[in-house]
Amino acid sequence: MSPAANPIPPKPGLLTALKELPKNVWNSIFRNPLPSNDLEKSATSFTNFFLHIHPVKVHKHSLKPTYTLGLGLISFFLFVILILTGILLMFYYVPSTTQAYDRMLDLRGTVAFGMILRNMHRWSAHGMVAVVFLHLARVFFTGAYKKPREFNWVLGVVLFLLTLFMSFTGYLLPWDQLAFWAITVGTAIAGYAPVVGKDIQFLLMGGTSVGQEALLRFYVLHVAVLPAILTLGISIHFWRIRKDGGLSRPPEADATPALEFSAPAATMKVAGPESRKTYGLQGLVRGPITKAGQVPDNTVFSWPDLFRAELFTFVITLSAILILSLLFNAPLEEPVNILHPPNPAKAPWYFLGLQEMVSYSAFWGGIGIPTIFVVLLFITPYIDRAQTGVGKWFAKERLLANTIFLTFVLANIVFVIIGTFFRGPNWAFVMPW
Amino acid sequence: MRIALAIGTFFILLIHGIVFYDQFFHRWERNQTAYFDQARAMAKSDAERAALSDRKPRIEQIVVSNFGETRVDRCTTCHIASDDPRFSTYAEPLKTHPYSIAMGDVQKNGKWERRHKFSEFGCTVCHDGQGRGLEPKYSHGEDEYWPDPLLGHTTQDSWRKDYAPKLKGKEYLEANCAQCHTDPGFAGTATVEKGRKLFFATNCYGCHRIEGLSDGTIGPDLTEVGKKWKLDYLWGRIADPRAILATSIMPKFNLKDDEIKALVIFLKSRKGRNFAETEIQRYKVKLTGGAELVQATIKPVEIKPAEMLKQGEKLILDRACTACHKLGARDGGIAPDLSFEGSIKDEQWISAHFKNPKSTMPDSIMPTFRFTDDEFKAMTAYLVSLKTAPALTNGEATYKALCLRCHGDKGDGNGPIAIHLDPFPRDLTKAGFMNSKSDTRLVNSIRNGVAGTSMPAWGKMLDEEQAKGVLAYIQTAFTKEPRRELKARQIPEKNPIAMSAESVARGEAQFVNRCAGCHGKKADGKGPNSLDIQPKPRNLRNARFVDSVDDRRLFEAILYGVQGTAMPSWIDYGLNNNDVGDLVNFIRAINQKPKGGQNAGTNQ
Repeated sequence: MSPAANPIPPKPGLLTALKELPKNVWNSIFRNPLPSNDLEKSATSFTNFFLHIHPVKVHKHSLKPTYTLGLGLISFFLFVILILTGILLMFYYVPSTTQAYDRMLDLRGTVAFGMILRNMHRWSAHGMVAVVFLHLARVFFTGAYKKPREFNWVLGVVLFLLTLFMSFTGYLLPWDQLAFWAITVGTAIAGYAPVVGKDIQFLLMGGTSVGQEALLRFYVLHVAVLPAILTLGISIHFWRIRKDGGLSRPPEADATPALEFSAPAATMKVAGPESRKTYGLQGLVRGPITKAGQVPDNTVFSWPDLFRAELFTFVITLSAILILSLLFNAPLEEPVNILHPPNPAKAPWYFLGLQEMVSYSAFWGGIGIPTIFVVLLFITPYIDRAQTGVGKWFAKERLLANTIFLTFVLANIVFVIIGTFFRGPNWAFVMPW
Repeated sequence: MRIALAIGTFFILLIHGIVFYDQFFHRWERNQTAYFDQARAMAKSDAERAALSDRKPRIEQIVVSNFGETRVDRCTTCHIASDDPRFSTYAEPLKTHPYSIAMGDVQKNGKWERRHKFSEFGCTVCHDGQGRGLEPKYSHGEDEYWPDPLLGHTTQDSWRKDYAPKLKGKEYLEANCAQCHTDPGFAGTATVEKGRKLFFATNCYGCHRIEGLSDGTIGPDLTEVGKKWKLDYLWGRIADPRAILATSIMPKFNLKDDEIKALVIFLKSRKGRNFAETEIQRYKVKLTGGAELVQATIKPVEIKPAEMLKQGEKLILDRACTACHKLGARDGGIAPDLSFEGSIKDEQWISAHFKNPKSTMPDSIMPTFRFTDDEFKAMTAYLVSLKTAPALTNGEATYKALCLRCHGDKGDGNGPIAIHLDPFPRDLTKAGFMNSKSDTRLVNSIRNGVAGTSMPAWGKMLDEEQAKGVLAYIQTAFTKEPRRELKARQIPEKNPIAMSAESVARGEAQFVNRCAGCHGKKADGKGPNSLDIQPKPRNLRNARFVDSVDDRRLFEAILYGVQGTAMPSWIDYGLNNNDVGDLVNFIRAINQKPKGGQNAGTNQ
């Protein structure tokens, strides 16, 4: 059948085609065999859609688990789990005050895998809030926000706030007493903002109290608006990591060992023509790590070290979430009863620090101090311009900055703990035991 | 790293395994399979067997739309044999729902036919519980968050352990029967009816409103109480009101368990709108405020002058005054003894107290009953006629007969009904107070009473000598400390400051500064410090009391304090006669009655 004009290569027999079918399909998907040399290692990273956002080579320092603790990756994987479970949950959920709670009961009782899905979504959401914050703290304590990573830090803070908002909007959806009153409290805190507070509150709730309009708004924000923004933000965040020269590291990590060939070079097997530039494309990219040829440095190929580390992080994250979801069921309290608020009505745990502070002063606790903290976070890289202490945990040079940050963090943690465990009816101090 | 990866992956697989196992091997599937097996064994024909062989385990559900919001009941997924008469001797969940003639089921040609078909009623309309779940814990409502656990069957872990066993039993289901069978005479809701009668017999109606039944305003509205609260809470609020809310003024009525149960079932049946009502009926009740129905429940009695006393007596008993008060052998154990009311109160007082208890005793918890004037007259006449005093042989006997109910057998003011009285009965063991007052003053209190409080004037029953006898008994038995000579005090007989707007304003400023902490900004004795003080600060808006004491006594209390109480001697804090004069004017001013008869507001 092949046109006569193209006689070469000769037409393979049908039998051969069938015989080679699995191999051909495989090869059509994966362009490269499992890499056995540097060229193939780099090609693997370049030609795979999912791997090509990684650099071909990665600095050894970035692979140190004690430096990053894998927190950024864990946040990302939690986000992936959230997206996947969230989409599945969307098949069953109806954002209606009359149906939402029934749907929760269905998910818990009848829908196949409904309970585990909901548990995974719940615990991943809480986990993501916590891990994103820890990631932020890690970046701060290692001074990683400094030039040239200022903007990525700012973006990171935005992503953190978005994560909080994402979790907050999801909190309402089960439409039980816990959800209803937590959101009532949470939106009330927003209402304490000067001038625009009441308007923001009204805009969020679509009315003067939490009701059908609020449920719909929170739903749309939760499943469409915020995930889209968050996905975009995360993409830029990742892109910026590469454009800013990989993860932060101390200057001494880049010191070239005296003319000693680095590990990959030493183990390099000659496969293709040796003179060919392995990283041709990278040569066109401007930036601090641009290099061509085999300049001795402290980098290793992403394949397999980086990818294995990422896989490991993913497996750990998923196992943890699965175990949690198997052991603990996501809470589902009474159906909403507007006339019967629980005492005390508590915001979601990550806002309990705010609520605790609100109990002392509505404005300062709910708006003033959090705003100061967030503004400080935003401008930190533009204030703290010294280039010392980057890439080291709790560097002595950064004692002041770390202390200020730690004070805020610890204060908030203490308030969250007080608000969560030590507050009883009428917000009176109680012992949790 | 590889090992860690392997372990992690193993966990993921393991959990997937568990989750999948859980998902595909449900308990309800096993139940259904067991049912099919049993039913096949019982089958009489091949066709029946074949039909059963075709049935595979699946989720069964009944969608009920005739009763309120649409319900989805999946109970029959496990209780699959509920309509199969052959399984009547099996254990749950494979047990036939009993057939009963009382429920309206009929037997035709040896086959039962249900009056309440499951396909129409579902399960939760009668039984409560959570129809959507497939796990017993959740569907039976065992988790503490579910508002309607299976009525009379499932108790939740958070319920009080001593109440939980009492909250089981078929009678509780009557609360749901009454959602459709609203006729009070309906045989199937006998316990609801018993509860309804008790609601009136124990005088719940005096304080509580239930739309269409009663219109009390002192306690919470109970129209939707059955929808809001679980059995455990209802039982607790009746059996021991202060265990749930320490500041509750609801008395603990002397009720037996079966009476509480009937009341709980009655209250559980109060869910606002029931299934038998239509929107338009509901609206009509709203328009009239339920007044017609209230009057239909408590029918006014036509009073014939000739039989006034008799009718009054009957009314007092019928309208459940003795749910709180004592009258002869009947004793509610909550309010004062009426057995010799004619000797301690006059017709005018009783009549005023009936029409508005707070007019004679501003802090009384007695509800205002809306009976007709004639009825009040008859009841007053009957009470006035009660003049038989008990045997008052000596001081001790007199104390026990007249004083003990409030002041207690230890004389510490903790009598059986004391917690329902405001102000609290005087603690007679406090020597500081008792010895700071002259005998004349104390005897005066006994014989003339303390106006505006529950302390009646015993003067008609006790002459001077008898009163002294009681006082002597109190002093030896309770106060114990010997009397001391009273120090002379310099107290003006009359207020030296003339009543004027300026003086009252000065007095108010003084009051807010110095007195409001205990007596409260409104001078009603409920200031922020009052919670920790016993006896409670005086309610200075109690006009009857304030009018009954002269300037001298007010001056003495303020200048020299009241020993044995938290009231300090204000001389020590720099108040002089002029300051106190302003204060006294202020206190008098807020108790002045304008012509309308209401207490005057603060004089601004």
